[in-house]
Amino acid sequence: MSKLKLFARESWLLLVSSFVFGLLIAVTNAALSDRIEQNKSAKLNELTKTLLPNAEIFQPVQAEIEITLPDGSKEPARIFEALSADKQRVGWSFMARGSGFSGDIELVLAADRDFQKLMGYNVLVSSETPGFGDQMKNDYYRNQFVNAPTGQLTLSKTGDPATVDNQIVAMTGATVTSTAVVNIVNTFVVQIKDQMTKKGLIGNVAQ
Amino acid sequence: MSPSNNSNPYSTALFAGLWKENPTFRLLIGLCPPLAVTTAVKPALTMGLSVIFVLVCSNIVVSLMRNLIKPHVRIIMFTVTIATFVTICDMFLKAFTPKMSEILGAYVPLIIVNCLIIFRAEACASKSGLVVSILDAVGMGAGFTLSLCVLAGVRELLATGHVFDIRVMPEAYVPCLAFQMPVGAFVTLGLLLGLIALLTRKKGA
Repeated sequence: MSKLKLFARESWLLLVSSFVFGLLIAVTNAALSDRIEQNKSAKLNELTKTLLPNAEIFQPVQAEIEITLPDGSKEPARIFEALSADKQRVGWSFMARGSGFSGDIELVLAADRDFQKLMGYNVLVSSETPGFGDQMKNDYYRNQFVNAPTGQLTLSKTGDPATVDNQIVAMTGATVTSTAVVNIVNTFVVQIKDQMTKKGLIGNVAQ
Repeated sequence: MSPSNNSNPYSTALFAGLWKENPTFRLLIGLCPPLAVTTAVKPALTMGLSVIFVLVCSNIVVSLMRNLIKPHVRIIMFTVTIATFVTICDMFLKAFTPKMSEILGAYVPLIIVNCLIIFRAEACASKSGLVVSILDAVGMGAGFTLSLCVLAGVRELLATGHVFDIRVMPEAYVPCLAFQMPVGAFVTLGLLLGLIALLTRKKGA
């Protein structure tokens, strides 16, 4: 009993403060969480709209699609059906992530309405080296993914970046980042396409 | 805080952090943000203002509770207090300046372990009245913000030719991208520390 009294005497301020501080954080979170979520969605929509200019509505795909990452772990895919103002499907967008040269890279990718061609990617999160890996945000590298087939892409050190095919020409001085982006795209695109086909979400894949 | 005996304690608390006890350039504490978020002036300024907010709030709370805090739980009390205000600050940044929050990334939550804040709680707020604690927090925070902006200004200028997104260098200037990288932060900080040491030695300070 005396131990309990000692505990209460020594730590009551810490307990009361923790409770009050927790309450303060909860109130702030309740007041700002909607706005924070809106900001996240707005950013995602803004980045996706540059890939699918005709898209107005991004409807989350309810079907469970699971991605197996290179390290063997699994995670659910976040896929959106992009619809025009008159509710016609104009494409698909989805999140993809993987390890880069310095930390994780997160991308938002888009594919056409039949999931036959990629419409490109935008960078959500990256801390790649400025002037080197950071060039993944530049058109020179990004444009190679526009209209590329939704199959396995390969990285090459030489070639014509203007040619639309499954060969991606690496960025000079940033081989690790170039490889990382191609690996991320390959990991997510192929698995998402396979599973969406099996679930009947994309019908005319054979065309 | 070390107020001199012959000066007003309020003005000493307010102005010490700006130069005489500048946390970055004179005390060399809390050096993680000066090295990590000074690639441009805007994020540096946002980080500085965030630190001022956390420093003022934590100093107020610690000062008000200074007679109730048991000595052996004081560090955990300071940490809980600082963590609360950093979390609130992080949420405000995410809600009202999402782009800046994204640029600063993990460095906002890392304010919790910035030794400048816990140092001021221990050295000043836990021993001083409310007014002195607030003035100390404002002064130290302003000094910290100033040093971040100076570092960021030099790095942004040399790395991009711009300051605050305004072109300063002539078109012919070739940007030195190394100043945007960690090496640029260390080199700039080292050179500024050397310059300050030179200036203060000449003045006999």
